[in-house]
Parts: sequence; structure tokens; C-alpha cells
Amino acid sequence: MSTSTTRPASGAGRQEPDGPTPTESRARPSAPRDVAARRAALRDRLASGGFLAPAVLLVGALLLAPFAATLWRSFSDDHRNPGFAGLDNYTLFFTNENLVRSVENTLMWVAGTVILPCALGLAIACMTDATRWSRFARLCVVAPYALSGAAVAVVWNFVLSSDGALNQLVAALGFDPPSQGWLLEWPGNTVVLILANTWQATGVAVILFLVGLQGIAPETLEAASLDGASPWQRFRHVVLPQLRPVSIIVIGMSLANGLKSFDLIWVLTRGGPGRSTETLAVSMYQETFLLQHEGAGAAIAVVLTLIVLAASWLYLRRQLDAKGD
Amino acid sequence: MQRTRGSGRILRNTTLILLALLWAVPTWLVLVNASVPAGDYSGSPHWWPQGFGLFDNMAQAWDRARLGPAMGNSLLYAVTSSLLAILLAVMAAFAAVVMPVRRRTLWFWLIYSGALLPLQVFLRPLFLSYANLDLYDMQLGLVLVYAAIAVPFAFFIMRNYAMTLPREVIEAARIDGASWWRLFWQIHVPLSKSAMVAAFVFQFVAVWNDMLFGITLSASRNIRPVMAALAELQGVYTSVGPPVVLGGAILVSLPTVVLFFCAQRFFVNSLKLTR
Repeated sequence: MSTSTTRPASGAGRQEPDGPTPTESRARPSAPRDVAARRAALRDRLASGGFLAPAVLLVGALLLAPFAATLWRSFSDDHRNPGFAGLDNYTLFFTNENLVRSVENTLMWVAGTVILPCALGLAIACMTDATRWSRFARLCVVAPYALSGAAVAVVWNFVLSSDGALNQLVAALGFDPPSQGWLLEWPGNTVVLILANTWQATGVAVILFLVGLQGIAPETLEAASLDGASPWQRFRHVVLPQLRPVSIIVIGMSLANGLKSFDLIWVLTRGGPGRSTETLAVSMYQETFLLQHEGAGAAIAVVLTLIVLAASWLYLRRQLDAKGD
Repeated sequence: MQRTRGSGRILRNTTLILLALLWAVPTWLVLVNASVPAGDYSGSPHWWPQGFGLFDNMAQAWDRARLGPAMGNSLLYAVTSSLLAILLAVMAAFAAVVMPVRRRTLWFWLIYSGALLPLQVFLRPLFLSYANLDLYDMQLGLVLVYAAIAVPFAFFIMRNYAMTLPREVIEAARIDGASWWRLFWQIHVPLSKSAMVAAFVFQFVAVWNDMLFGITLSASRNIRPVMAALAELQGVYTSVGPPVVLGGAILVSLPTVVLFFCAQRFFVNSLKLTR
């Protein structure tokens, strides 16, 4: 109750009769209405708190508190009784060759997941039209998006294993299959994993670009052709600028998904052979749960968070501008 | 002019056919080889259908990897945690958009920030506190964590949707003296139904497809979700043979594939809402 008398309540546009001097405002006639208004405002605030609380508590207890714990843990070492270690866990990124490889792989994933699904998604969305066979072509590309990472790994294991379909195809075409296999030699194995991820992830880019293309006013295209623009010029100067907002979403989404992808790598290679296909997401699991290096694992998780946040900034900034409120 | 147009079309169609083939061939191989009766599998992939043993293969996968209980678990987790998350998210969105709240931005970021963090930062502390609280390897524990993961993005969708709703109805009802609780259930929830369905489909698929929490926070075969079971089936690839593993992969993917093609409109809408 004390808050309602000491702080002016910020009800929805209610006029607070705050007089010039405190004694005056407590004058008899206006007091009951004043108190009632403040009570109503307090009730509104309590009610809104009640609506917000369940979501805030669940997110706070199961997401934000663990995040804080991980952040804290990343500054402790991995001895039996962990002590404060400063930035020691973070220097592992420069000294530990497994982590250096993991960062390299993560950067390859970032490049691969930005360029391939986005470019292919844009190309397929633009090249297909309403004819039946091109709708079918589109369906072929979109369908794998409905699969889980683990299922995609099963599919590609079948294609890539030494007695798998790809080697069979290569042999049938008269070439020698690579003696090393597809998933054994770095950096080829990471590239193959990125391609497998592209097979799954392009579908959503196609869908989003189709949504974006529907939003383009046909008059702008007609006007451009009347002015004698070639199809390429129309695409470059009319379609592409109008696809900018949706492109930012597609790039942001595939970046975030690429950085977080764990299931595909884990089921297909377990990060191996010899930890050569690990990305940061996999290294964190490996260090924390299999090697019992919790401090190192926490530091990897924090670095991964920083990279994800930096990548999300691309479309978060739009969110802030548009609806920062 | 006419000729360049024709050659452009040929170029476009060839590229399209090549790309479609590139995508369709793995899908085709999976369908063909999952249908080859497991006993007839010759050791190398089949490119054309031979016999039809898809259901037998699925049944074998069902038995070998205990896919049945795992699919039941995932169904339970996906439905309950999505429903819980959407209820909490729509309540929070109602408060954040409709009700007079101070520090809206703070509340928004407090809830939404969960969607930006990679799952890896939650794993170890959750694992430890679940072990302490006897939630490890419990269905309740997985439902809670899946709900918590789903809330931030569901909140984002519901909030963006709530901002497009007309305010007049609510304000009129408010002046008539209706309580917030009544406003929420009788006006806000019915108006938000389409966005709620979109968010539900989205979260259902996300939970069904999750493997990371499944392998971290559960161990026993009657608790773990379906993708953890599929990973185990993949681990015994050579002993059960490719047709059974592929049949299992198709079986566990059926719910999301069916949902995806039935609710493609909702998918597109929910993705559009994230703009």
C-alpha cells in the first residue's frame, strides 16, 4: 500500500491531482477520488504483473538463470575444487588445436549457411512459376525442410557411407570413389556436412522468398519492361531491392540455424574423426559432457552466444527500429 | 530478341531441372531403400523399387529401437509443452501490449532474450539442477524445459500479432467495467486464435525434432524423446541394415511432414509474423 501513496501511479492517462504543496493536495474533498484512482492504478499494475509473471518466471528459472550460471562457470577452472581462473578458459581458443579447428569449422558453416541456402532459395523461388512441373520442382526442394536434423543425418549417412549411394554413382560414371571416404578428411568432411545441411535448409528460404515475391507490386515490373529493361535488369533493379526486408530475415535465420546446428553433425560424425568436424555447438557438448571440462565447455558456450548475438544483430536491429517501443 | 528469350528459358529450365534432381535423388533413394525388404537388401543401395517391405521395416525399427514409447513421449512433450508455452506467451503478450505496463521494453527483452541464446548455454546448469531436483530423466522435467524454450519465440509471435489487433474493443469493454481476466479470455484469446495455431504448429515441430535436450536430460528408453531413439537406431546401422534404419527415419518424420504439408499456410504466416 505504501507505494500507492508515495509514488505517482502511471495509470492509463489518469490525471494525478498533485497539488503544488503536499498539504494542499491532501485537502478533504479530493482525497477519496485520489485514493481510489491510485488504488485502481495499483490494481492494474498488479494484474499486469500477474499476467506477465508465469512467462517471466519460467524463462528466468530455466533459461536466464542457467545462462548466468554458465557465464559464471566459464571463469572457473576444471580442477576438483574449481577456483577462479580469470580468462584461462578463453585462452584455450588460441592454444587448443581442437578448439581452433572448431572455430575454423564454425566460420565455414557461417559462410556456407549464408551463401548456399540463401542464393539457392532465391534462385529457385524466382525461377519457378505457377506451371505444374515447376511447382513439383519446388516441392522437391521444400520437402526436406520438414525433416529433423537427426533424420537428415540418417539420410546422408546412407548416401555417403563407403558402400553408399554416392560411391555407387561415382563408380557407375566410371570414376574412382575417393579412397578416404567423404567424411574422413578435413576440410572436405565439413564441406560435405554443410552441403547436407543445405539440402535441408534451402526449403525455408524458398518459402520465405516466395512470400517476399508475392509482395512485389506487378506495376513496378510492368513499368520497367515498358522502359525496355531486360529480364536481368528488372531482377537486379526492381525485384532485388524490394526483396531486401525478406532477405535480411532469410540470412538471419539461416545464420542462426547454421550456428546452432548440432543434431546433423552429432548423428553423422559425432564431431569426428578425431574431432575434425566439430563446430562450437558440438565442441561444447563434447568438452562438457564427455571430457568433463566444464569450464572450457562453458567458455565455448559463451563464445558461441556472442557469435550468435552478433549474427542476430542483423535483424534484431530492425526489430529495435520498428517496434522498439 | 525472341531468340535470346527462348535460350534464356531453356537455360532457366535446365538449371531448375538439375537442382530439382539434386534434391529429389536423396529423397527417392530413401523411399526406395526403405521399401526394400530388409532380408533382400544386397549390401549396396537400390535405385529402383524391389518388393515392398516398408511396413515390415518400420515395424522392425519400432521393435529394435523402441520407437513406440519414444514417439508417445515426444507426442506428450510436444503437445503439453507447446500448449503451456502458448498459454503463458499469450498472457504475457496481452499484458505487454494491452494492459498499462511500465518498462515495456524491459519486459519484452527479458522474455524474448531466451530465443536468442544458443541451447548450449543452458545444458550444463540445467543438467546439474535437474539432477538435484529429481527432474533428470523425468517426463515433467522435459515438458518444463521444452515449454521454457518455446515461450520466448511464441511470445514474440503473439506480441507482434497482438499489436495488429484493434484496441477499441478492449477499451470499450474496459470502460464497461469488465475485468482484465474476462477481457483476456472472452476477447483477446478468441481474437488471437489464428496466431496461436501458427505458434502451436511451429513449437510442436521444434519439440518433436529436438534431440539435444533429449540426450542431455533423459537416459531411459521409456522417457527419452523420439529423435534420441532415432540416433540410437542410427548407431546400430550395420547390424540392422539400411532399410530398417531408413524405415525408422521415415516413421519418425511422418508426423512433422504431414503437419508441414497440411499447415503450410500457418508456417508461412508464422514466419511472416517474425518480420
